[in-house]
Amino acid sequence: MTAPTTQIYQVFIKASPERIWDAIVNPDLTEHYFHGSRIEITAERRVSRGPDGTLRGDGWVAEYDPPRRLVHEWRPMYDPDLAREESSRVTWEIEPHEDGYCKLTLTHDNLEGAPRTAQHVSGEGWMFVLSGLKTLLETGGRLDGANARADATPRHASTGS
Amino acid sequence: MVDDDRVFKALADPTRRLLLDLLFERDGRTLTELESRLDMSRFGVAKHLRVLEEAGLVVTRRSGRTKLHYLNPVPIQLIHDRWIDKYTEGPASMLADMKKTLEGER
Repeated sequence: MTAPTTQIYQVFIKASPERIWDAIVNPDLTEHYFHGSRIEITAERRVSRGPDGTLRGDGWVAEYDPPRRLVHEWRPMYDPDLAREESSRVTWEIEPHEDGYCKLTLTHDNLEGAPRTAQHVSGEGWMFVLSGLKTLLETGGRLDGANARADATPRHASTGS
Repeated sequence: MVDDDRVFKALADPTRRLLLDLLFERDGRTLTELESRLDMSRFGVAKHLRVLEEAGLVVTRRSGRTKLHYLNPVPIQLIHDRWIDKYTEGPASMLADMKKTLEGER
């Protein structure tokens, strides 16, 4: 089965739009949930680097409207097979809801020229990132290895950042 | 809005599970396409899709004059993390593995 060329992921997060936005564009926070990547997003560019500083992604930013809407190019460099494919597009939308929740919708589209990338990010790819983002914002914890489950002790959000 | 109840209720119906499977097979379908795969009125299918949408399992997008339905797998993943992971360790996991092995041998 080929992965869809438009993929939508949606999650409710108990945090303010500003905190969610910060968690998306601030490398000190992205490294806790985005496969260890330090991702810096400005109104012009999105640059992603691994823990050792190697470039994992570099793309333009099409829309930068904090804390509501962010659209950027997805040009992966962490894998040579993916890097050869055409770039695609990622849209983040943050909508405030009642009770202090926000609805975060991530749309990854324009994947027609990038079937391997579509496969790579589908299912667990974005899901892992988004559930990690939710965990980070709601509990301050990290969603990897031993911390992934049953760690009910809320840690302070600034720990380790 | 965010509660697990809605997801569990949405998943409790076989037609709605079938709709999710159809979207898993091919995402971004219209009501007309989905309806053609089910033995049910358009109104009935629309009602089920609405329940799925309210549970966050389906997200809709407009494309011109048509409304496309997309599967959102995140709520199922979160339920998995919260409700399934912790029970599938130890003996339960061993029995599940055993069942898989035995049934796979037939």
